[in-house]
Amino acid sequence: MLEVKNISCGYGGRDVVKELSFTVRTGEILAVTGPNGCGKTTLLRALCGIIPYHNGSARINGCEISALKRTELSKKAALLSQTGAGGEYADFTVMETVMLGRYAHSGSGASKADREIAERCLEQTGTAELKDRLITELSGGQLQRVFLARAFAQEPEVIFLDEPANHLDLKYQLRLLESLKSWAAQGRTVVGVFHDLNLAAALSDRIMLMDNGKAAAEGKAADICRSEALSEVYGFDVRKYMLDSLEMWN
Amino acid sequence: MSRRKAMTLTAVSIAAVFVTLVLGICIGSVFVPPSHIFAVMGNKLFGASLSPDVPQSSVSIIFSVRMPRVFLAFIVGAALSVSGAAVQSVLKNPLASPFTLGTSSGASLGASLVIVSGVTFMGTFSLAFAGLSSAIITMFFMIAFARRLDRSLQSSTVVLTGMVLSLFINAIVTLIANTADEKYKQLMKWQSGSFAGRGWEYDGIMLGVLAVCMVVFMLKARELDILTFGDEQAQSIGLDTRRSKTLLLVLSAVLSGTAVSFAGVIGFVDLIAPHIARKLFGADHRTLIPMSAVTGGIFMVLCDLAARIVIVPNELPVGVVTALIGAPFFAFVFFKRRTGR
Repeated sequence: MLEVKNISCGYGGRDVVKELSFTVRTGEILAVTGPNGCGKTTLLRALCGIIPYHNGSARINGCEISALKRTELSKKAALLSQTGAGGEYADFTVMETVMLGRYAHSGSGASKADREIAERCLEQTGTAELKDRLITELSGGQLQRVFLARAFAQEPEVIFLDEPANHLDLKYQLRLLESLKSWAAQGRTVVGVFHDLNLAAALSDRIMLMDNGKAAAEGKAADICRSEALSEVYGFDVRKYMLDSLEMWN
Repeated sequence: MSRRKAMTLTAVSIAAVFVTLVLGICIGSVFVPPSHIFAVMGNKLFGASLSPDVPQSSVSIIFSVRMPRVFLAFIVGAALSVSGAAVQSVLKNPLASPFTLGTSSGASLGASLVIVSGVTFMGTFSLAFAGLSSAIITMFFMIAFARRLDRSLQSSTVVLTGMVLSLFINAIVTLIANTADEKYKQLMKWQSGSFAGRGWEYDGIMLGVLAVCMVVFMLKARELDILTFGDEQAQSIGLDTRRSKTLLLVLSAVLSGTAVSFAGVIGFVDLIAPHIARKLFGADHRTLIPMSAVTGGIFMVLCDLAARIVIVPNELPVGVVTALIGAPFFAFVFFKRRTGR
């Protein structure tokens, strides 16, 4: 369970996230959405310990995130970020990449058990057949699933996703959602940032709509999509736009 | 890497190193047959009696001149290459090297002060000690300054800080050189890099430093792998990037600082050799670190060989040879990369 109470965080003394509170139960998937610059990515960075938060508290199953050592936090929380591969320098195989997810558990060594866990994560994300390929040779969709496998290999209690479906075609989006849903069904928690409201609705149990560093609305996907808050936050009639765009499917 | 592949790679590496070292010792102003080398080694290491075919002059050339020189070239090449491989991975930048980070300039500054002032406090090792201390102080100063600008030590901040510091220190070294009068030539000669006249004691110390640093780098190989993916991913995986980067950068400063103080400023090896090793053997640092050492060592021995035989009986500074081969090679690699994709 992830419990966030009144946290604020940002960059250079300026708060981007302001006194935000929300809770995500174990096994639940929360989608965070909102316009550019509303603080979605900053929130994830703070909850993964990459930037500090001040005021309030953020706990994963009762443990305060800011009090955890880096390796301890990585056993509880994994981040699938927008950042791409390691560029031309990351000539690692898929298996080597996923094995890095075991660092917090096994340090510099890697046991047979670590390898079995990595192989299971490759299976879960449908990337087992790629395990001997170099990640620099993979497509964007394949690479994203490999990074998801690495995040799974950390065996975290909560997984944070920052625009995980970016640059993925529909087939890969669907596969990614299936992987995440089956992972959450094992009693883990997922918090994902999405721009695509349809994708957010398809994946999540609940949506939190953010605006200017605060939660403008929170609830089930259907309720958020019908709420006035959505149009207020984006500054135009979002529902009408979505319904109009659906016309072509008839 | 499979066990079989690892064993093959080890065997091929040992053979390549052996052939290069033998070549380096054989060829020079006077050719020495390989059989003489083995005879001298057998005599010095195991006390085997020397064949009358081996003249005393050959014994002297092999054991007192060529062997310490060629071994030092190999160890310095290996040290610069390993240091370069680590810096490139830590900073995720193909142009980063101990030279761009200022450690080599720092070593230059320390050694220049000793040459110009003529102060000797550790006998023949004064130069080396001053260079090494100065390189380490420079690296600590660079990290402290970069930390003030950016507490998380982002790679771009470290690279920019290092380059500014490097240029600044180089300007001071030039200033010292221009006020050195009669020591100017000696300073310039040292700066161009050379392995001439270095005895076995240099080999011993350099090998010790290389061995200790290599062991630590191998223990930290997984951290180097993780850092290749950038700060955010590394932190998410569980790495304390600030602590890890500081340790790895200081360690690479020790390696490159010792190498520069023992042999002068020899550029490009720390850029080229890790690139070749990465292309040939992959990015896994458990393989990349030792293979960078092998590649850098072989490259340096061959460059030193060229420096000795191109304008016999005179010698070219080895730094000139590495730059003459290295600069076009580097341009080719980048040109190919840009047009090939």
